[in-house]
Amino acid sequence: MATVIDKAKREGLEARDAQRARSSRRYLGLLTGAAVVTFLLIVGIIGTILIKGLPSINWAFLSDLPREGMTAGGIWPMIRGSLLLMFGTMLVVLPVGVLGGIYMAEYAGESRFVGLIRSSLVSLAATPSIVYGLFGLAVFVLAWKLGTSLMAGWLTLALFSLPVVIITTESAIRAVPESLVEGGLALGLSKGQTIRKIVLPNAASGIATGIVLSTGRAAGEAPPILLTAGIYYSTGQLEMNLETLRKPVANLPYHLAEGYRQGGVIPESIIWGTCVVLMGLVLLINLGAILVRARSRARSLQS
Amino acid sequence: MRHLRLGDRLWTAAVYVSGMLIIGVVLAIFYYLAGESRFAFDRKFDVGFRLALQPAKGEYEADVSLDPNATLVTLNREGSEGLDEKEETLPLPTLESLVGIASFATGSPLTGELDKVDPEQLYRDDWRPKKMGSEETRFLVYGFATPEYKEPTMALAWDKDQGFVIEETPYALTLELLRAPEGVEVKPFKVDLKTQPKGRLEIPTFIARTDADRTQGYVFELVASPRSSHVQAVIGGMASSSWEPTGAYQRYGFLPLILATVGLATFAILLAAPIALGTAVYISEMSSSRFREWAKPLIELLASVPTVVLGFFGLILVAPAVSNTIAKALGAESGRSFITAGIILAVLLIPVLTSLIEDSLRNVPQSLRDGGDALGMSKAEVVRSIIVPAAKSGIIGAHVLAIARAIGETMIVWILSGGTPSMPSFLNVREALANLVKPVKGIPDTVAIEMGNVDFEGVHYGHLFTLGLLLFLITMALSLYANQLMRRSTWRR
Repeated sequence: MATVIDKAKREGLEARDAQRARSSRRYLGLLTGAAVVTFLLIVGIIGTILIKGLPSINWAFLSDLPREGMTAGGIWPMIRGSLLLMFGTMLVVLPVGVLGGIYMAEYAGESRFVGLIRSSLVSLAATPSIVYGLFGLAVFVLAWKLGTSLMAGWLTLALFSLPVVIITTESAIRAVPESLVEGGLALGLSKGQTIRKIVLPNAASGIATGIVLSTGRAAGEAPPILLTAGIYYSTGQLEMNLETLRKPVANLPYHLAEGYRQGGVIPESIIWGTCVVLMGLVLLINLGAILVRARSRARSLQS
Repeated sequence: MRHLRLGDRLWTAAVYVSGMLIIGVVLAIFYYLAGESRFAFDRKFDVGFRLALQPAKGEYEADVSLDPNATLVTLNREGSEGLDEKEETLPLPTLESLVGIASFATGSPLTGELDKVDPEQLYRDDWRPKKMGSEETRFLVYGFATPEYKEPTMALAWDKDQGFVIEETPYALTLELLRAPEGVEVKPFKVDLKTQPKGRLEIPTFIARTDADRTQGYVFELVASPRSSHVQAVIGGMASSSWEPTGAYQRYGFLPLILATVGLATFAILLAAPIALGTAVYISEMSSSRFREWAKPLIELLASVPTVVLGFFGLILVAPAVSNTIAKALGAESGRSFITAGIILAVLLIPVLTSLIEDSLRNVPQSLRDGGDALGMSKAEVVRSIIVPAAKSGIIGAHVLAIARAIGETMIVWILSGGTPSMPSFLNVREALANLVKPVKGIPDTVAIEMGNVDFEGVHYGHLFTLGLLLFLITMALSLYANQLMRRSTWRR
């Protein structure tokens, strides 16, 4: 490198320009190379999982109970369990998360104490899921005596998704134009009424996206479920009553983790199929969220 | 002020409570993780020594652990599985029952005076009852030879029990002669078992002619006295270099787990950083806005693949490849090792990191780009010498946040790392390279795997919570630091 520059010095500006152009091209080449690697990885990994797993997926696989000690049959109880976990988590996190987001956006302001709250939020968002799992185990499973149960899983996953729900709610509310808020206040509405009647309806799609995304991610996260709600073997019909809340529930990530732990009991084709279903569940939720975001962006551009 | 209606008051209260809840959750996590960690301090430190009185020239001279008449003196340890109820209280053997030439018995830990020990209460071994080591504990060992032994001397041999690591024990351990038999000339001795964990000492023969003589012979004493406070000892145990929570002698050293987790995160970030940085700069600066529109969601799509799925992908497709190439070259057998887990961790980090870096590049104001253009710089020069340096602290912050993510990642490490805690070794180049293909076990996966098999509120459970607390504090510190860096890079226009 150094010798090249010396040479450039000797041969004057023209050579230096050539060198600059070469170095720019090289830089651009490196960047393009990195981007190509990344996109190949994405397409390669998601594509491989789909190619390996899609052949095992059919209606029977999705709707049947497992048979012969998980070595045959379908995975319906796990799908059902994951959906149950997800929707329950959504219900638990919705009020607290949205109210927390409203607080951060409209009530918190700037102070030392609020700085502390923001730091807490940042820490919580980066806290590993296994730590939430331990907390859920100590508090919900043991101290509150809920046992390994659907209920404990809901509460744990709700805590896990809470920081993301709060952060996305806050930014959705901040994205609502100030003029709408001022309009509400000018009409004589109180602050609370303005938020409920004007801000929330306008921020609703952003808030919903955040909740669905974070609970979707939570439902795919194995460690908290492992410690608070999971069960490996479930063939029975699920009866929907209050007792269900106190029982552990079979679900997709736990099934995969445990299937791995049991080592080779479950045939590979079933595991690949389960992988695709779990990934599909999370990816579909993501795609939906992306579409919602794109539509709302298009709408805001129009107006 | 206008009078607030009840609905509004309730609303405000609910909003404030939810806001405060955020701090509450952090405090609660800290409180409960620290609280459950207290069970780690119930830890008892095991001690195990084998003692035998042997013929001066015997067949077990070299290996005390093979001597069937050797006695295992243990502290805080429950007996081995094979022992049944009857053996548990096997009394001091009578001369008649002893076919060997020299034998031994341990008494219960000495309480009070030696003279007051009741021979009826002595047992050959008392393995089962746990003996506390919180204060000085002394064990009596009675020694005598049976009448058929003819040599003038016999030997006291001792060795530490297999699996017992004397360097880690928080006790000072000594073996000394408490009382010599009447009429036998023997120099008193006191052996520091720490410096001399295995040894053999010749002493004059004492023969028990009658059953009553059995307790009139040699009395040796093994003394275990704590060298530090119990809390120090437990914390010292955590700072040691071996994690074996289920062995006969439990060891709870965090070092191999911490090193594995930090090492994996470092390896993964080194692998992911150049690719992610390049991709982020490309998307943010080099591509059209149309490309950006679909590129970013696509990258976030990879970031949202559940990690248990990524782990399985690595297990089926990456581990065999590693096993056939680099592991084979370095003499390892399995593909489930440090490097496999590190590679898949990097795959997870690439999208996470790309997205974060891209955000901070986007924060650089357009005016800087325009300024660079106005100076006649090429696009690449503007990016390299203006945009990237301007976003530097944000980019570093993104890396710190990604490291926090890697440190807390559970399933990938669980599935791919091989699951055996091990310390890295850097004696020579070959060994340093071999660290790459060693199986390891990190903090989060250890907690997730082992929590399934522990007794709740036991010592192992307590240590797992301590690990969780450690993880919480590490990721908290990293995320706060990253946040500070990223905020510094937020440009105010």
